[in-house]
Amino acid sequence: MKRRAFMSLFVLLATTGISGCRKQADARKADPLRSGYDVEADWTDGHAIPLTYREAQGKRIFYQQCVWCHADSTPAGPSNRSNLTPMPPLLNDGATLNAESDEYMQNIMTLGGSAMGKSAMMPPYGRALTPEEIRSVIAFTRAIAQPPYQPPGRPGSQYVNK
Amino acid sequence: MQAESMGKLTPRLRLLFAVSSIALLAVLAISPFKDFVREWKQYKRGYVRFAQTRPDTKKLLADYNPSIDQIWIPGMNVVDRCTTCHQGVTQTSLAGSAVPQPYRQHPPIPHNVRDWGCTMCHRGQGPATEVAEAHESTLAWEQPVLPARFIQASCGTCHHENLAETPQLARGRELLAELNCQGCHKLQGVPRPAMLGPDLTNVGTKVTREWIYKWLKEPRTIVDKDGNTIVNGYETKEEPRMPKFRLAEGELRALSAYLSVQKAKPLPAYKIDARVVAAWSKNPELASQGELRFRQMFCSTCHSLAVTRAGETKLIGGDIGPELTKAGSKVKPEWLIAWLRDPQGYLAHTRMPRYGWSDEDLFKVTQYIATKLTDSDLLLTVPQLGEPAEPEIQLGHRLFVEKGCASCHAIEGVPPQKDFGPDLSAVGGKNASELEFGKSQIPRHLVSYIQAKLQDPTSVNAAARMPQYNWTPADLDAVTVALLSMKGPPPTSALQNLVVQKKEGEFHPTGAFAEVYERYKCYTCHKFNGHGGDLAPDLSFEGSRAQRQWIADFLKNPQTLRPTLVLRMPQFNMSDKDAATLADYITMVLQTPQADPSKLDVKQFTPAMVVLGKQLYEVKYQCQSCHTIGGSGGYVGPNLNNAGNWLTAAWVEAWLKNPQALLPGAIEPRRNFTDAEVQALTAYLMTLRSGGKPQKSASQGSSPSAVHGAGR
Repeated sequence: MKRRAFMSLFVLLATTGISGCRKQADARKADPLRSGYDVEADWTDGHAIPLTYREAQGKRIFYQQCVWCHADSTPAGPSNRSNLTPMPPLLNDGATLNAESDEYMQNIMTLGGSAMGKSAMMPPYGRALTPEEIRSVIAFTRAIAQPPYQPPGRPGSQYVNK
Repeated sequence: MQAESMGKLTPRLRLLFAVSSIALLAVLAISPFKDFVREWKQYKRGYVRFAQTRPDTKKLLADYNPSIDQIWIPGMNVVDRCTTCHQGVTQTSLAGSAVPQPYRQHPPIPHNVRDWGCTMCHRGQGPATEVAEAHESTLAWEQPVLPARFIQASCGTCHHENLAETPQLARGRELLAELNCQGCHKLQGVPRPAMLGPDLTNVGTKVTREWIYKWLKEPRTIVDKDGNTIVNGYETKEEPRMPKFRLAEGELRALSAYLSVQKAKPLPAYKIDARVVAAWSKNPELASQGELRFRQMFCSTCHSLAVTRAGETKLIGGDIGPELTKAGSKVKPEWLIAWLRDPQGYLAHTRMPRYGWSDEDLFKVTQYIATKLTDSDLLLTVPQLGEPAEPEIQLGHRLFVEKGCASCHAIEGVPPQKDFGPDLSAVGGKNASELEFGKSQIPRHLVSYIQAKLQDPTSVNAAARMPQYNWTPADLDAVTVALLSMKGPPPTSALQNLVVQKKEGEFHPTGAFAEVYERYKCYTCHKFNGHGGDLAPDLSFEGSRAQRQWIADFLKNPQTLRPTLVLRMPQFNMSDKDAATLADYITMVLQTPQADPSKLDVKQFTPAMVVLGKQLYEVKYQCQSCHTIGGSGGYVGPNLNNAGNWLTAAWVEAWLKNPQALLPGAIEPRRNFTDAEVQALTAYLMTLRSGGKPQKSASQGSSPSAVHGAGR
């Protein structure tokens, strides 16, 4: 009886020993800034915002096409924003843009302001940018939004909230 | 008795038998058990559990298979088992950071994951089936996964031509070329230009021994205690091209002695009549008039000056030529006059154009530089060096070659050492075991090695000859990316066929145009058929765009078309003949078939069309958001005040139909105008004409704000 107990203990130890040999999965948490594709400095306080691949593509397109009117300083110096009435929103203006759905943003960039009942000063980009490029600009907008953008939880909830 | 007892099982034997059978069973069970708990199988089962929580379970599990998945592309050496765990890479419903890894969708990229595999871009070990072996560097598997912020390096391995999608890689390649890394290293795709650093054959005629000493000790860059980069005492983000070499006092003395006696060719004698000079010298405003001329000629397009505003010092101006804040304390005045008259006479390959100076302008600007752009404290820290002694000169000559100076700077009769630095054309594919880490405590892989070496060459090798550079974090990453992209010749012919070669723009003008083109170095800023700089508009199709008379007038007196530009076309003081030569060649040769004047009759424009065009411009399309007409409008696009005298109608029409067809990457989006609208807008724009020279004053009025903008 004693021996049997000893034996079962042996078998148990052997099996637990084997499973113990397995390497533990690496629990290190990767720094998002080191693993991001690109970084954008927050427009107000300058803290670094890590960007995903799509957001990084959006950043590139933003600085080529949109920065002239949707930012207060541009690569060429002063911004064209103050020349326009109504003044276009800054791209990181979460108070204005967080409320707009991705579909709306996609439409206003593709079709232009006049097609969406807004200022005709916003030209249509549907023939200059691909739909995927426009989606990446939206992703970038969401990434830098201040206050931060909260995506709608699941399809439908955005209507419930309103 | 004995035989009987032999067949009889004693309890002891029974026990032994039982123990060994159980042990055997247990040993046999180890293998299936180990197989069951394999890391990848856990991810497989985890994916099934995860898919069951999603609404589209059926679709997610449609091609599920409990064994190892792999992408096998024999021609490209790809055996990637990554999709064994990363099972959602092609599932569009698994996009976004809310989905846990390893099940997230791969972001959409121009290459299909199934056709290219994973390790082509991400590196790491494709055949490995354990997390650590696949992603990290272990003893047997040396290539770790490339961190995402360096991923553009993998684009560059095949795409030797720069892509719009890889700005970081393009910046890194630009830095490698700009900082003259190819002077000492062999680099993939970075050719050796005609001149790296300035030719020093006559440097003794230009600067003093004391200045050379100071420059070698602190080549402009000083990092103060806060880590800010200082150029001659001014804060800047521009990295000077000359790096800091770690030179001892004796070496500094020897090199400065050797260089200060390099006076192979005396300066060409050029004397302005002494009486005239005496008359000019009486002018108390001399230096400030010189400064005005310096500004009017837009020297700042290539040269920067430090400006202090509100206690903050910044460099304002371009970086094509050297920064000039203290040039007056650097160069000898007689050298400056000779240089400004004929830069190529001193440096055959310099990009400085030969301006058409009048004697008076030349004298005033030289006076301005020599008296105003100075700093009496510049050489305070330099010891008294005196006349160079012969042993010092001999030592300096030897050091000039040994320290690698000769790799970038030519001196007649001093050949550089061959292959001075290691060949880096395949550095991006090196394994950790091939690298020398010295006593450094950095992680043992290529990325950290490259970054440590660039930041401080002595950290990985105390005897390194490589000089010290100061990098901003973004530039350090960019150069790392460019180096990681150089993996040498592709290992298979299938990969060789994938390489997108760099397109070298060719432009070989001839005749009288070539002479003027070379004199004013047009290609430093403008592009011609893909050859030239990026600072100014591409002129490949300028003949289709602009009218001949306008081009000739513009060259004589460059005006501002884009009010926000800080860097403007310099005033070359061009002769009528030169301007006519350039204008004729541009209108005759630099044409595109897309803007065809024969298909358009300007006479068909009616006043009704002009009225409609004006209405479209102002109301329907609100072009004034980006363009200025009269005093109002935006300044993203060029000023259209004088469009009727400037642009050709054929160009305006072609541009309105599709800007990107004429200029890839144009900011103006392509719009859906009808043909009638295009015609009306063209008719309207062609009526816009401004008289003589009202733009001149407008440009001067806006320049302070433009300069202010750059300083922000």
